[in-house]
Formats: sequence, C-alpha cells, structure tokens
Amino acid sequence: MSQIKKIHTQLINKEISCTDLVQEKLNLLKENTHNTVNLLLETLALELAAKVDAKIANGEQIGLLEGIPFGIKDVYMVQGTYTTASSELLKNYKSSYTATAIQKLLDAGAIPLVKENCDSFGHGSSSENTIFGAVKNAINPELVGGGSSGGSAVNVAKDYTVFSIGGDTGGSIRQPAGYNNVYGLKPTYGRISRFGLMAYASSTDCVGPIAKSIEDIRIVLNVMSGKDVKDQTTYPSETISSEVILNTDDIKTVGYFKNFIENDAIDAQVKSDFLASLEKIKAKGIQVTALDFFESDTLVSTYYTLAMAETASNLSRLDGTNYGNRIEGDNLKDTYSITRSQNFSEETKRRIVGGNQVLSQGFSDEIYLKGLNLRDQIAANFEKDFNEVDIILSPVTPNTPPKIGDSLKDPLAMYLSDAYTVGFSLGQLPTLTIPKGTTTGLQITAAKTHDELVLKFANFLKDMI
Amino acid sequence: MSKIMTVDVLSSIKGAQESETVNKLFEVIKKANTTNNNSFNSNQNNAVSLDDLREDIVIDSSSVEKEIIIENFPKEKNGFLVVSKVIEE
Repeated sequence: MSQIKKIHTQLINKEISCTDLVQEKLNLLKENTHNTVNLLLETLALELAAKVDAKIANGEQIGLLEGIPFGIKDVYMVQGTYTTASSELLKNYKSSYTATAIQKLLDAGAIPLVKENCDSFGHGSSSENTIFGAVKNAINPELVGGGSSGGSAVNVAKDYTVFSIGGDTGGSIRQPAGYNNVYGLKPTYGRISRFGLMAYASSTDCVGPIAKSIEDIRIVLNVMSGKDVKDQTTYPSETISSEVILNTDDIKTVGYFKNFIENDAIDAQVKSDFLASLEKIKAKGIQVTALDFFESDTLVSTYYTLAMAETASNLSRLDGTNYGNRIEGDNLKDTYSITRSQNFSEETKRRIVGGNQVLSQGFSDEIYLKGLNLRDQIAANFEKDFNEVDIILSPVTPNTPPKIGDSLKDPLAMYLSDAYTVGFSLGQLPTLTIPKGTTTGLQITAAKTHDELVLKFANFLKDMI
Repeated sequence: MSKIMTVDVLSSIKGAQESETVNKLFEVIKKANTTNNNSFNSNQNNAVSLDDLREDIVIDSSSVEKEIIIENFPKEKNGFLVVSKVIEE
C-alpha cells in the first residue's frame, strides 16, 4: 500500500491537515531514542505545511508529493541547513545550495523534516561512525541500524518519515533497508544527479529512495530521475508508470550466484530461506539458473581499493581552508595535518590512508590499476549474465545485523559483510532491497538502465514470498 | 619525484599509519588474476559526449547563496572576505 497515495487522499479529503501531519512526525523524531536525527528542519517544514493547507482550503489542486514529509541523509546539500556528513570536520558547515535530487522533491511539494544520521562521509556499514551517536536498529535497538544510510532506514521503518533519501556507494541504501525491513533502491548509476551529494567514491555514488512500498519507491524515483547539466554522468530516462510494473509476464529467467550461497560465511538460516525463495519462484514457472561469479573477498577488495582511492581524492579538499574546522599548527602543513587528524574519524582516516597508499608510485600498478582491471571483468561478467537471465536475485547480507559496538572492533568483518552488495555497485546496476525472503531481505538486480524490471519483479515477489 | 613520501605526509594526517586490515584487502588484489586487456574502464564509460557539453558561461550565484558563503567565512577586512593562508613555501 502506497503511504504517499494514502496521505495524499487524506489531505485532499481534509481528513487530516498537513500541519498536524508534519507536527506529529516532528514530535516522533524529537522524542525518538534511535539516534536518527542530526538536525530537525522544524521551522521550514511547518512553513511549507501551512502553505499546503492554505492551498487545500482555497480549493486548489495539489500534486501527489505535495505535503508529504520526508527525510534526507545528512550528506545532501539543502540550502541554509547544516550538512555535516555526521563528521566533526563539517559540524558547522552550512550548505549554500541545494542538491538537484532534493530540489526536485522540493519543487514537487514534498516537505523535508530532518537531516538524518549516517556513517561519517558514508564510511561504514553500521552507522556507528558518527558524532551523533550510533543509530539503533528499528526492530531491535541493541543491534546496529545498518549503514551508511542507517538513520534514513530506521526513520522510514518507524514511520517517522514517509520516505527518506539515502546514498548508496557500496550498499549503503540496500543494507540498512534490509536490516530494518523496508524497501531501498540503488538506481542505475547516473539515473539520478549526484550534484549536491557529498562525494565518497564518485564512480559508484548513487542517490536513492527508502520507503515502505514499491509504489512509493517508484513515485520518488520518477521525480528525482533525469539528466542534469550539473552532473555530466547523468542520462535521460523515461518515467516508469505504475501499470508497467504490475505486468510481470516478461520476466522468464532468474539467476543467482552459486558462490554467494555455497560458502561458510553465510548464516544457515539466511541460506535456507534464500533457497526456499528460489523454490517458490521455480514453482511459478520461472526458470532459475545458477551463475558463476567472483569470490566474495575479490569483490570486497576490489570495491574497497577503488572506493578508498576515490575518497582519498574527494576528501583532500577538507583541510580547514575552504571547508572544515581549522586547527592552527606551527606552520601551514602542520595546520592541515592537525586539522585532518583531529577532525576525521578513525574509519575515515583508515580509508584516506589506504587510498593514498594505492595511488602512490610503486603501488598503483600492483593494486589500483589491477583493481580497475578486476572491475572491468566484473562488469563484463554481468553483461554476459544478463544475456542469459532477466533478473539476478541475491540475499542482501550474509548475516543478521551485528550488535552495536562489534563492527567498530572488527573493521575487516564489517568490510566482508558488504560482500553481496558491492559487486552490483561496481557494475553500476539497478538493485532493490525488498523486505522479504530472508531476515535481511532480498536484492533484485537487473541490467543497466532497466530499473523498471527491478520494480516489476519486486511486485511479483512481494505477493508470492 | 624521487623522494619517498610516507602515508601521513601523503594524506596530510598527523601520525597516520598503514592499516593491517586494509593491507589484507590489498593482498587479495595482488593475488587476483587479471586479464591482459589494458583498456581500463571499457565497461564504465560515463564520459560526456563532445556534442553534449554544458555551455561555458559564468552563472552568478543567488544573493542567498552569497550570504551563506560569507557566513561560512565570517572574517572580513576592508570589505573583503578573509580566507586562511594556503601557500607558505
């Protein structure tokens, strides 16, 4: 059931006022103990809600997203608001402009409520790497909320926001969506403009929605999509209609990666639930094909090598001059290095150092260029697979969410927990988490630019599993 | 440059050291098989076409944008923003 359509109907029938709705959500966010909030946009949200109420009172028509309250991961620029990336370095940084994706939602009348907690600069899979306190899981608060878009997924799961906008570089929308039992889409790379999204690893950074229904994902995706001159990696795409994604007849074959399932790292329950889901799909007459793929450690290492190299470059601008809290040292170089050492978290420093290592002379051929070559092989493998199958289905994570505190103690385990999400990021493929099939959900992936196929198959699965 | 730079200098992070965890990831890459194909990024072509470049024009910032930029750099001298020193040697 689409929450957006339900609220829209209630608003136009005057069953609820937009101001009451927004105030109720703001109160829930304020009182919440899951550490999902970096900043509440209370004044702005109530002003916008009053305008929507005035329009309805005047008998004017309102758009589908008009008056719908939503959340924004705190890595998106929203003019006049603090955009901290959950970091010490940028805790006082105010955005001077608004990200394209967010501006499109504002233009459609959606109401921003909150800048949401996340791993600092997207560096993490648990939303514990933040100055605002670890995000607590929506289902069991002793567990992590997932990451890096943890605050966004928990807000949606708890109904504090109707939908939230996360960011996904290696799984940061899909994994927290899985950990909190909601839908989360990483669209094809380039479908939504990255302008105004704080860059982590530019070649895989994607903007995407988190919501409680496929229909809401579709509505928000359509509004944010499109070519943007401010992000020249964007491509023009067609609007996906609700009718198109209800017709699932053209999906005939589904593939899965054998080595994701046949290994020791996967939780026994996740494995048996996944295999049971495949059986149900077969029973509906769809052909299920086992596919060969790269080993998990190769995928994780390739992703982290490239992501670290890119983040080392992207974050080099954060030295206390144009951005960040400057801490003065004995000389200029000292000032830069003190500013960065005191204001970046341990995880962020680990990634910057790793990135500079692989980009440096002597290492780049052996590691970075080899990583690029592996990425090409991974992408070529996907191209071959999508000649054989329409959809690839996989678990979202090998295991259930860890307890708060465990990931910070064991970063390697955290990196390896991304084994099932990072490959699709490297391939730039559209991938959706649905809260079905296993305890942390299922991932549905299609070939590049075929985002509508992913939503179609999700519609098919949601009633069947 | 022949001078060997340490990771703390390369990263401008005081006291930064290589991480054992990250080195384990790099070891996997070193051992992985690669193809002899040297055309990197052949499948990741996101470059914009020459016919599709955006216009080379200066777009003036809005007054709100200028105000916020000034807010991020609060120091002022003789009507100019004072930014931090960036060149020393």
